[in-house]
Amino acid sequence: MLVLIHLLAVQDSGELLKGLTAVGRGIVYGGAAIGPGIGIGLVVGNAITAMSRQPESAGMVRTTMFLGIAFTEALALFGFVLAFIISG
Amino acid sequence: MRTRRIVLGLAVAGAALALPFAGFASAAERQLSTASEECIKNVEAKDDPAACQTAPKPILPAKNEIVWGALSFIILFGVLGKFGYPAIKSMMDARTERIRNDLDGADRARSEAEGVLADYQRQLAEARTEATRIIEEARQQADQVRRDLTARAEAEAAELRQRNADQIAGERDRVLGELRTQVGVLAIELAGKVVESNLDQETNQRLIESYIDSVGSGTR
Amino acid sequence: MLLASLEVPPINHLIRWPAFWFKDNAYFAVNKVVLLMWIAVLMVSAFYLIGGRQKKLVPSGLQGLAESAVDFVREGIILQTMGSEGLWWTPLMLTMFSFIFALNIFEVIPIAQMPVNARMAVPLLLALMVWVLYNAVGIKHQGLFGYFKNIMFPPGVPVALYVLVTPIELVSTIIVRPLSLSVRLFANMLAGHLILVTFAVMTSALLGAGVFAVLSPLTFLLLVGLTGFEVLVAFLQAFIFTILTGVYIGGALHPEH
Repeated sequence: MLVLIHLLAVQDSGELLKGLTAVGRGIVYGGAAIGPGIGIGLVVGNAITAMSRQPESAGMVRTTMFLGIAFTEALALFGFVLAFIISG
Repeated sequence: MRTRRIVLGLAVAGAALALPFAGFASAAERQLSTASEECIKNVEAKDDPAACQTAPKPILPAKNEIVWGALSFIILFGVLGKFGYPAIKSMMDARTERIRNDLDGADRARSEAEGVLADYQRQLAEARTEATRIIEEARQQADQVRRDLTARAEAEAAELRQRNADQIAGERDRVLGELRTQVGVLAIELAGKVVESNLDQETNQRLIESYIDSVGSGTR
Repeated sequence: MLLASLEVPPINHLIRWPAFWFKDNAYFAVNKVVLLMWIAVLMVSAFYLIGGRQKKLVPSGLQGLAESAVDFVREGIILQTMGSEGLWWTPLMLTMFSFIFALNIFEVIPIAQMPVNARMAVPLLLALMVWVLYNAVGIKHQGLFGYFKNIMFPPGVPVALYVLVTPIELVSTIIVRPLSLSVRLFANMLAGHLILVTFAVMTSALLGAGVFAVLSPLTFLLLVGLTGFEVLVAFLQAFIFTILTGVYIGGALHPEH
């Protein structure tokens, strides 16, 4: 890998930069999406459990679920935005 | 009618679905052209081919959009806060008020009806007790009458029996007296015919009566 | 060959629009996004004004929609987060919800097809406004000292944990809240827009890719499905932005919760 990068760097630093930027963006967004993905799964799963146990409080659970999703999802979106901020 | 509606809906949906596609494609094309213009401008300004790639970050807000966004929000807030929301709110409040009034009225009507019903039920119960009382009274009266009648009938019967008995006794006495007289007369006549004139009428009669007396007292 | 024909335009070219009026004025230049804002203001105003002018006892049509929107904001957002004393905020929350939703829904409306909130301006503006509002409300209701005390030393936390909790809470309340509020809306709409563009471009590319054109209905159907999904996202993001505003202001009103 390092050899490859070195070879590319010798050839064309601009192209290397672009390529590495793209790789970095991918890693940033992919990494940022892991935790929130699991987190949203947990939130929704538990919300469904709660709703099926107590259907009469489904409205409140749903509101809270959306709040939880919003807070969790924000992390993934930070990664998404960060991927755009990174530039070569 | 129904199929026509379905066909119409499908046509509208198809058009709606086709439009975004066309729109996106044309938007992308137009954007590409403006982008290349901008690219050329950048390159000319900075005299650097890489300047073509250094467009402003999408995360940075544009000044004009901030200004117009703020103006739009303030205007919208003004319109909604001043006219839109109060109108809708007053309408909803009026409806709430009206429904509450209706409910109150219904409540009142129901309590009134319940009062009337209770009245009727009370009256009915009174009437029923009254009727029971009347029936009871009538029964008692009937009982009384029956008892009276029975008593009177019994009394009459007893009286009748008594009278009969008296009559019978009187009759018997009378018959017995008559019998006695006639027997006496017959006996005297018979004895007179038998004995013929050795005894006078008066003495014979006395003899016979004394005899009959002795016999009567013995048979009585 | 297939990949070569698939040329997704760079992101800047999808959301940056050239100005067409007042081109030279940096602050008042009007581009498509600004035009959409105007339309949104007009449409939303007309919606509520016409909806509020009909005074039928049994609402129907626009009146019913407008009333259910007001009802949704009051019952579903404010009463859930701020309690009944938060009803004072209804006009602002209603405006916020309607404005954001109108700007979002342009994403799927033909010809417009640009979520205004995929530009950072409006989300940032609204998030800053919310930031100012909830801080002001907190300071007004709890006093400057009490407000910061409640933020930094939330009651019911073991004293030893303050080392950890205090900096987190402070940073979270003062910096992360407005940032996440604006970025959530912005990034959701931007991502949705990019997805729709990607599938539209892909369909277009497949149509012109000879034998691969048979695959184009697949991507087109995906595009249709995602368009429906984006309608949901547009509504959900407006809802979440507004309900979070309610949570923040409600939290400043009642620090215990």
